[in-house]
Amino acid sequence: MIAPRHGLMLLAPLALVLAGFFLLPVLMMLPTSFREYAPGTGIAPGVWTLENYTRIVTDDYYREVIWRTLGLGLFVTLACLLLGYPLAFLIARGPERWRVPLILLVIFPMMLNLVVRSFGWIALLSNRGLVNNLLIQLGLIATPLKLMFNLTGLMIGLTHIYLPFMVLMLVAAIRNVPRDVEAAAATLGSSRLHVFAAVTLPLSAPGILAGSILVFVLTISALVTPRMLGGPTYKVMATLIYDEYMQLLDWPSGSALSFALTAMAIGVIWLSSRLTKRWAGMA
Amino acid sequence: MSALSFERLGKSYGEAEVVREVSLTIAEGEFVSLLGPSGCGKTTILRMVAGLVAPSRGRILIGSDDVTSLPPNKRGLGLVFQSYALFPHLTVFENVAFGLRRRKVSGAELDLRVKEALARVRLDAYGERFPRQLSGGQQQRVAIARAIAPQPRVLLFDEPLSNLDAQLRDEMQIELKRLQRGLGITTLFVTHDQGEALSMSDRVCVMAKGVMQQFATPEDIYHRPATGFVASFIGRPNRLSGVVATRDGQGGSLRLGSGLTLQAAHIDAAAGAKVDVVIRQEAIRLRRGQPEPDAIAGTVALRSFSGARVQYVVKLTDGVELIAETPSSGPDSALDPGTPVSLVIDAGSIFAMASEGAAA
Amino acid sequence: MTSASDSDDRPGSGVTMAAFAVIVFLQIPVIVVVLAAFSTTSYLTIPPQGLTLAWFGKVLSDPSYLSAIRMSLILACGSTVISLLLGVAAAYALFRKALPGSEAITSVLMAPLVLPAVVIGVALLQYYSLTGLRGSLFGLLMAHVVITVPYIVRSALASLSGLDLAVEEAARVLGANGFEAFRLVTLPLILPGLVAGALFAFITSLDNVPVTIFLISANQTTLPVLIFSSVEMGIDPSVAAVSTLLIAATGIILLIAERRFGFHRFV
Repeated sequence: MIAPRHGLMLLAPLALVLAGFFLLPVLMMLPTSFREYAPGTGIAPGVWTLENYTRIVTDDYYREVIWRTLGLGLFVTLACLLLGYPLAFLIARGPERWRVPLILLVIFPMMLNLVVRSFGWIALLSNRGLVNNLLIQLGLIATPLKLMFNLTGLMIGLTHIYLPFMVLMLVAAIRNVPRDVEAAAATLGSSRLHVFAAVTLPLSAPGILAGSILVFVLTISALVTPRMLGGPTYKVMATLIYDEYMQLLDWPSGSALSFALTAMAIGVIWLSSRLTKRWAGMA
Repeated sequence: MSALSFERLGKSYGEAEVVREVSLTIAEGEFVSLLGPSGCGKTTILRMVAGLVAPSRGRILIGSDDVTSLPPNKRGLGLVFQSYALFPHLTVFENVAFGLRRRKVSGAELDLRVKEALARVRLDAYGERFPRQLSGGQQQRVAIARAIAPQPRVLLFDEPLSNLDAQLRDEMQIELKRLQRGLGITTLFVTHDQGEALSMSDRVCVMAKGVMQQFATPEDIYHRPATGFVASFIGRPNRLSGVVATRDGQGGSLRLGSGLTLQAAHIDAAAGAKVDVVIRQEAIRLRRGQPEPDAIAGTVALRSFSGARVQYVVKLTDGVELIAETPSSGPDSALDPGTPVSLVIDAGSIFAMASEGAAA
Repeated sequence: MTSASDSDDRPGSGVTMAAFAVIVFLQIPVIVVVLAAFSTTSYLTIPPQGLTLAWFGKVLSDPSYLSAIRMSLILACGSTVISLLLGVAAAYALFRKALPGSEAITSVLMAPLVLPAVVIGVALLQYYSLTGLRGSLFGLLMAHVVITVPYIVRSALASLSGLDLAVEEAARVLGANGFEAFRLVTLPLILPGLVAGALFAFITSLDNVPVTIFLISANQTTLPVLIFSSVEMGIDPSVAAVSTLLIAATGIILLIAERRFGFHRFV
């Protein structure tokens, strides 16, 4: 029994901090996104425009960056699923004594500093990096492969960064699949592969969806890894926003892009929650 | 001298009234049970006494102090929870010491009083264990020791025995009652188990749908139920439907199904009304062979032996089935199915109340 | 479920090998960074050309690294403590259903996790530029509270939901006031979950670039931002050395947390 008055006292400090340092700043960015950029000074006084938003859909360069971001999100999500499922399956269903060490080996890179992990990939993928050195030493190639500042580099790096999230989601999902339902399918004459395809996979689908949404949203929002592995020229939305603010000082355009990115992230989450509700209705 | 009393105590959640104007007075040292089916408001009353739920109306007095608006920690009560609610991170000793420490008891006196409370529940040797290392019955006893250690003015129990298996429950009933007598502590005991309530209490308060039905000694509750609800809730009833044929003072005669007529001492409806008829299984006596003048004829359909008791399903001539129960050592304990019998039912054990929905 | 059917259902050798390959993939950049930190050459070769501790010496005597490490620790410790105080209080109010609309409030408190970090970063950049908080320690601290507090709220709510409410009520009836009941009973019981949440918050703060980079002043940076900008300038093995220090610290913290609390259960 705790009175609403006390509840308010407990909740108010956090509510005020979030209102003052999260909600208000984001809302104050909204008017900026309708202003006009004035080179040098930043915001042209007294002019209101929709151009920052229309440019996002009409400008070829912006469109390319958006498609690249979405494509990257999709590819990284698929790669995380393909790489993550066997590992998650081994953790969920493998020998008990392997479980904790394996989980720790998944958590460890996840807890590790993002910049450090991205730096590790630079050391591996750059022109004078380990991979190219090794291939040249082995005589397989004569000139270094271009593994960075392109889609390949970003895909490898981002897949590595977000794979642990996917694995942990999948482990929880696979552990939730009731074993006796699988056993029932097996006694009814299903082969192991068929049990997996007909029972295990569909029953872990909600976890697969949740993990995919998480990885997709994290990937399209990522700034550090795309910047470090993509360099200043191969841009995604987050690095574009970074440059609009830090290099060009074009806040109106940067804030419009920020809202576009936010809308994409929230839209994907919203779609998935509708899909999950549909599934729940079917069950 | 009253130890605990409620004056028109009530609780509503929005439109729903869970406890309606309950007034009762419990004497010093008395053991009182609140008995009723789930949702009858008995636990809400207990939680209002403890200060865990604020009453919507009325007053609660402990001794002569109005505690209605005091927080739980200022009421000086002991409460044993259904889930025991032991502190899992503290040893048995520290669990029992918790209430004493809050009362600034320390040092040798604390040690003494904790050990005394643990000795009362025969757990002297378990002080250093953690709750998870104990069996369910032992945890239960720790919860009791924790509640009595600070010498509360009133001891409250919220269905404390419902998580124990049957045998342990019987043992704990006796142990609890002996403990309560030994301490002489005023006790309010919430339960849905009539056996518990009747065997342990000085007085029982039967509740239904937030309304107090009867507050009386176990004997009165059993033999002289005040309402139809009490009659049908207590004992092991056969439930039949019938019509009131005639009224005569408290009782009258009832007509069951196809013309069978019974005399009943307690009828809660007017002549001609459709009624639910309650006949306790243990109030029906069976006689082998020829029907006697006042008896009803029937045939044994099924015999079910359960140790101390034997239950018979008896089919009456008009097809109605009744269940009768007798001690397994008695003269009527070995009637085979197919045996013709006559049934003698004491009119004082037949209760009738207006059927379904018409009752208050 | 018998043990016989268990062994039948074990993942096959194909799955096991694929899984171990993925585990190796996850550790590769870590191994590479550590090797680079001890290598005498400024670029990496396998096997390393020679071993040296020189890069560590360089890092530990470089005032810009030392001050960045100091700044990162101040921010991480400060924001974790503030987030704990704010987050646990709020989660407790939500758990006790003290206010209507608990679920809606919870999702608002989680919102900073949903928004892309870079968006929070630029929003605060503009806000701080207007209010004069840009470059201030207070502004940075608050920014880090915003990004770390959801982890605290989430872990506190998860721990509280496993709690028997009667345990706190028992403490109240035994004579503890509301705060004592929380401190003596509830808090010790949710502590392992809170430690896990605090560790997440700490690491999130220590890790953060996309918000911090917009808000720091020119002369005071954090460690990840410093590494991030050094890499933009060109790679120097001292980056590998400072990264190795971070790897070692992370590994040690993770192992201690696992030993003490079974950390993996809270992830």
